[in-house]
Amino acid sequence: MGAIDTLLLIVGVVIKLVVVFAVAMLHVAYATYFERKVIAHMQIRLGPMEVGWHGLLQPIADGVKLLFKEDVIPAKADRYVFMIAPMICFFAATSSLVVFPFFEGFNLGPYHVGGALANINIGLLFVLAMSSLGAYGVVMAGWASNSKYAFLGGLRSSAQVISYEISLGLSLVGVMMLAGSLNLTDIVHAQERAGMWNFIPQFLGFSIFCIAALAETNRTPFDLPEAESELVAGYFTEYTGFRFALFFLAEYMGMLIMAALGTVCFLGGWNPIPGLEKIIPGGVWWFLVKVYTLFFMYYWVRTTLPRYRYDQLMSLGWKVMIPIALANIFLTGLWKVYFA
Amino acid sequence: MSGIVKKIIPYEICQGMALTLKVWVKGLFDPFRKQEDRVIVTRRYPKVKRPAEPGFRGLHALAKDEKGRMKCVGCGMCSAICPSRCIDIHTAEGPDFKKYVTGYRIEVLRCVFCGLCVEACPYGAIVLTEHYEYSGYTRAEFDYNMIRLLENWDKYMAGDKGKNYFEKFWTPKKWFFTGHKPVSKNAEVGKNVG
Repeated sequence: MGAIDTLLLIVGVVIKLVVVFAVAMLHVAYATYFERKVIAHMQIRLGPMEVGWHGLLQPIADGVKLLFKEDVIPAKADRYVFMIAPMICFFAATSSLVVFPFFEGFNLGPYHVGGALANINIGLLFVLAMSSLGAYGVVMAGWASNSKYAFLGGLRSSAQVISYEISLGLSLVGVMMLAGSLNLTDIVHAQERAGMWNFIPQFLGFSIFCIAALAETNRTPFDLPEAESELVAGYFTEYTGFRFALFFLAEYMGMLIMAALGTVCFLGGWNPIPGLEKIIPGGVWWFLVKVYTLFFMYYWVRTTLPRYRYDQLMSLGWKVMIPIALANIFLTGLWKVYFA
Repeated sequence: MSGIVKKIIPYEICQGMALTLKVWVKGLFDPFRKQEDRVIVTRRYPKVKRPAEPGFRGLHALAKDEKGRMKCVGCGMCSAICPSRCIDIHTAEGPDFKKYVTGYRIEVLRCVFCGLCVEACPYGAIVLTEHYEYSGYTRAEFDYNMIRLLENWDKYMAGDKGKNYFEKFWTPKKWFFTGHKPVSKNAEVGKNVG
């Protein structure tokens, strides 16, 4: 007993970590390809076409290019903070992956392989905490670069993330109330039991969540921290090579996390669309379909909408989103008391 | 009333989203369409080239007549009218006491492609071809001399192209006064001048 079991546990966790990390990185790489293709077609362009069939190897070519680029640290930058910032961003974005249940879990001999790497009871809280930790990386990058563009980007990002974090958290409170748990696996099971995915009873919460997730991941129309037309690239203006790639990966990983969170909390996780369970049973493929649907929404919004002005962003966040999210909590409470 | 409804449902945003979605779906079916029906407007440039419209003002060439002789007589009208002063002509007296051209040089990098030289030439001796893809590593590569300019005619103005060029787009002014008969039926050269 004892030693062998512990060893097996460690080996199992390491294997799962490697698999989840590798698969997630691949998805992140191809999310960029997907984005470029979707946006290109919406703008009647072709998008990447040259590397591989219809440009399918483009993300790999991009990655190789970024790896071999010169790594420049500006002479007047705060060296250590400058070097730590992208790592914080990347770490914060990636570590959230640990708590997501991708599928139900299966039995491998005597061992049960769970759908999540760590099925912890504060899963939802962990994701929110990690996603706000990413803002530190952004602020540090903006400060350490010693460049006005990066600095402005960092400042905007901190203000934006703080105001939208609130509505993001509040929009998820309704989900917690319905499920009675912060455990992401339990939230999916609660939706399964209710026979209804949360986005129907929580449609207010879902819309708030979608908008706040856009702001949280610095996507258009809330991309003020990296507004290309005014701030060059915002907080990572001074970054090159692999450090830039880390920021880029962190941004897309953040999108993946937000899409996965939306899937788990509002779209029933790995469960199939009711009526289709006979044809395609529930599993990780359903999870991916939903995640990519949300990804598509991100890209769709990005192509369509122009950027918000800074005061519009703030007044939308504080005067509209938070009151609606609070009202949603109140209504959910009433519903729970009188009907459930 | 409808104003409030439009505010609650973000009406304009929904319209915009519908538009982009429509364009996206249209573009998705593009590979199954014929080339001329495609909605996507971009070309994969080095592979698919945009055909230049006839009469396009590209790289220069010196025209040859039917017998393959250079049409240029060295009058210097082109070099006189050239606003960027990029044409340089040298002439000398030949053995039969006729003027003939010893050197004709165009610095293509200085050219502004206004086409005034083509209009000024009474003999239709200089043309701007439809060729637009020329690049090089040195300035010297763009210093076209007479031999290279004559080669350009064979390369880019071969066959009917040269004839059409003058009849449809860049008629030498001399033709208006000498009663030049157009060769092809479609040409309408000199009609309104009489």
